[in-house]
Amino acid sequence: MSAITTSSTVRQEVRTGATRQRLYPVVMHLVMAGAVFLVTFPLIYAFILSTQSTHLGTLVPGSALIENYQDAWRQANMGLLMRNTLIVALSVAVGKIILAILGAYALIYFRVRGGMAILGLIMLTHLLPLPVRIVPTYELLTDLGWVNTFQGLTVPFFASATGLLLFQQFFRTVPTDLADAARVDGAGPFRFLLSILVPISRTNIGALFLIEFVYMWNQYLWPLLVANSDQTRQIQIGIKLLVATDAVIDWGTVMAGALMAIVPPLIVLLVLQRSLMAGLTTATDDV
Amino acid sequence: MVAPVFRNRILPYLLLLPSAALVLVFFIYPAVQSLELSLYRVHRVRGVKLYVGLENFERLFTSTTYLNSLEVTAKFVVAVVFFALAISLALAVGASQPIRGFGAYRTLLIWTYALSPAIAGLIWALLTDPAIGVLTGALSKFGIDFNWRRSQSDALIFITAAAVWKILGYNILFFLAGLKNIPRDVIEAASLDGANAWTRFWKMIFPLLMPVTLFLLIMNTLYASFETFGLIDITTQGGPGRATNVLVYNLYNDGFKSTTGIGLASAQSIILLGIVATLTVFQYRFVSRRTFYQ
Amino acid sequence: MMKRFRAIPAFVAFAAILVAAVAPVAAQDDVTTITFWHAMSGSRADVVQQIVDAFNEANPDVQVIAEFTGSYAETLTKALAAYQAGEPPNIVQVYEVGTRTMLDSGAIIPIMEVSGGTLDQSRFVEPITNYYAIDGELRCMPFNSSTAMIYYNKDIFRAAGLDPERPPQTFQEVYEMGKQIVESGAAPYAISFGWPAWILEQMYAKHNIFLANEGNGREGLATEVYLNNDFGVAVLTEWKKWADEGLLFYGGREYAANDPFIAGQFAMLAQSTSSLGGIERAVDFELGTAFLPRLEGYDEIGNNVVGGGCLWTMAGATEEELDAIWRFYQHLASPEMDMTWHKGTGYFPASKETVELLEAEGWFEEHPNFRTAFDQILAGENTPAAAGVLLGDFVLIRDIVGAAIEDVVVNGVDPQEALDFATEESNQVLADYASLFGE
Repeated sequence: MSAITTSSTVRQEVRTGATRQRLYPVVMHLVMAGAVFLVTFPLIYAFILSTQSTHLGTLVPGSALIENYQDAWRQANMGLLMRNTLIVALSVAVGKIILAILGAYALIYFRVRGGMAILGLIMLTHLLPLPVRIVPTYELLTDLGWVNTFQGLTVPFFASATGLLLFQQFFRTVPTDLADAARVDGAGPFRFLLSILVPISRTNIGALFLIEFVYMWNQYLWPLLVANSDQTRQIQIGIKLLVATDAVIDWGTVMAGALMAIVPPLIVLLVLQRSLMAGLTTATDDV
Repeated sequence: MVAPVFRNRILPYLLLLPSAALVLVFFIYPAVQSLELSLYRVHRVRGVKLYVGLENFERLFTSTTYLNSLEVTAKFVVAVVFFALAISLALAVGASQPIRGFGAYRTLLIWTYALSPAIAGLIWALLTDPAIGVLTGALSKFGIDFNWRRSQSDALIFITAAAVWKILGYNILFFLAGLKNIPRDVIEAASLDGANAWTRFWKMIFPLLMPVTLFLLIMNTLYASFETFGLIDITTQGGPGRATNVLVYNLYNDGFKSTTGIGLASAQSIILLGIVATLTVFQYRFVSRRTFYQ
Repeated sequence: MMKRFRAIPAFVAFAAILVAAVAPVAAQDDVTTITFWHAMSGSRADVVQQIVDAFNEANPDVQVIAEFTGSYAETLTKALAAYQAGEPPNIVQVYEVGTRTMLDSGAIIPIMEVSGGTLDQSRFVEPITNYYAIDGELRCMPFNSSTAMIYYNKDIFRAAGLDPERPPQTFQEVYEMGKQIVESGAAPYAISFGWPAWILEQMYAKHNIFLANEGNGREGLATEVYLNNDFGVAVLTEWKKWADEGLLFYGGREYAANDPFIAGQFAMLAQSTSSLGGIERAVDFELGTAFLPRLEGYDEIGNNVVGGGCLWTMAGATEEELDAIWRFYQHLASPEMDMTWHKGTGYFPASKETVELLEAEGWFEEHPNFRTAFDQILAGENTPAAAGVLLGDFVLIRDIVGAAIEDVVVNGVDPQEALDFATEESNQVLADYASLFGE
């Protein structure tokens, strides 16, 4: 207990202090439950809408739940959308992790002439978010013949400064003895990487996987430009197409589709949130 | 820096090659191309190219539409960043209280991270639909006529609310991680219970959260500026009037909806690059100064 | 911690199985595949699919694959980009706004060439031919044509003490009836528009006034629009008056006004005739339709201009593909399919023959609302000004006009000021466009 709390409580009546202490958790519970409700309310509303067949702005659930979800699944071609988006989100997440580990490994465990320059080059990506180079990148895709392909949807996202930094920071905290011992044991650089470094990096791998998976799952602008057919269309655009109807929008179906689209990233988030927390906790030490 | 462990002349370069190559091909080369294209007017399909010098830039900086877009973006980004940080900080601090059962809140507050901006926009569009939105209905009981299809300021408020909501989960996650790093006795000393809690929080806890806050400040600025295209495209489409015509939306319209706007769009890319670069330099300086004084 | 780490590979493996499970079946290669990109969604997409399925069944050697590629503007953008990338669709549906862009793109094969000169232009309803013909020759295959009309809620008219069989014919009447509707409390608002920029274009054509130079861009590349002439300002001044007095419900740039109309928020809706199918199915009040109102003081008679879409054949098709495409077009234009299309959506029947068949069948008597659109377009005169305007990068100009209208009716900007600004911006777009065609 620090001096500040003690000195401030001393001035208060003992009895009030005791009541406060008992009441405080209850009050906080109420406050936080209220906050959670407010943050979650839009989603609950979306769910209620997804059960209604006509929309009059009521909060009473309707009876069209199954019908709306079936309609959304069929109209948006949801199975295919999920497949396409999974391909993209998984490839980018895994690809980024591999490239970032390899890069960080090279920079930390080897003598790299011009390493700082290469690092600087990769860091430049921070200055160049997609909109800053979107027109020529699209032209480039055209030249490569990658429009409407999965390469076109994924490869431009593979380079990752964030991932490289994350692993670089983490590798620095790994005791040098570990690598020295491995070398003395006759382990080559790859065996050390695969059998020691990667397993102890699992928290960071989980964290990066989560960030990249969610990021790619939610991509909108690039897939809007690049994917031209059902075979490559990404889920966010599929949802957009549900809305972009030329007549009367069936909001129940749209909400059903939107809610289905949230499920995969939500699962990944729930499974990996602790990894992200742990990864962040180690990473922010160095900020 | 760890002393290099393995000696190999070629291997490290091979390991770095894919990353470096991707950066060169998909980042540096297009950026340079943007610079070149910004000096031309091009017909996208026919490939006809006309050198126009700095005309594209000149035109942008005298265009009411573009200047308005800059203003709209500035307002939107500042509002999103401010509210997103303030609300998530409050919620994270609340949820991190050492009270039995609070673990559940920590999970229940981060889920909006999984949302896409587009879906967040859709849900808010319905919540505040001028005709059937339940929130619009509630507001009208208080005599507030909220209509983002008709009112320019309402439209900006609407996209800000949706954008803030979506990013809350991400921010809360990072703030919770930051709070976890703070020694327990400091947390307890600064417990929200008791007098002067407000002052104690800002004096004891907040300085320790400075690195996370600055990181989130950067990330949220980038998010609000560049990742909210979907939200706007699926709801207001830049309107009403040009109330929500943010820079990226304007760029998309010029670069892709027209057949002759590639040059103009590239010039806008270069301006964006300038803005990002300025912000980055500013932020790095700001960050280092803060750390220095601490 | 280890457990969660294992979750990733497990998740990846599960996902991979899922991916494999829904992988598409490879197409057979002894059939000619024709890709057809369209912007028809919802119930219209179903009708498109129905027509395509009928064709595929009757033509086992051809497989037409219809894909919904987003809004009109997006479909156009995508088709041109795909052409540039060397992988264009064979057929793309482009809205009337994209006509000039397609013509000048160098990326298309005119319909006369596709048909080997065998297409009989005179079979189509005249305003359609007028819109899509340049120098008297059709350039694309007419498919979904529509125009704008007034939809009105007869129940609200009754409640306001108005004659439900007498919709307004002039702007003044819209105003007066609108006042009565709002003041009597029959509905919160009186009127709304879908596609307001297009409604403005309709007004120009209906009153036989040119919207751009070079004969509305039909005799050469237009370099100047006449948005800020006295007529344009007069129309917007009326609209502004409606808005200022709480009669006008602003309903967005496309179809967003349909929902509140169905919900009874206002009594009249100026909207594309192609919404008829959807609106008729959705309303629970008595629906009426009427011609677009006229503006007093401008007495010249033009016609409603045709909107909707036309099918363009993209360059790069082989002989075999061209043959298949032409067969598909003939299938589309057959009275049977034309009727299916019209009845399912509310778009015009494209050919005169279909109209006669529908008449004989008594379709229009049973569905008087489907007749309104048609009568309206036949009541006008097919003057050059009414053929519709062709502008380079019209997509951008539509946005500019859309924003100007919003500035006036939403923000209360002075009509003259807003239209001066829109004219200046539009002319800049046209100048840029013209500069790339060596003028």
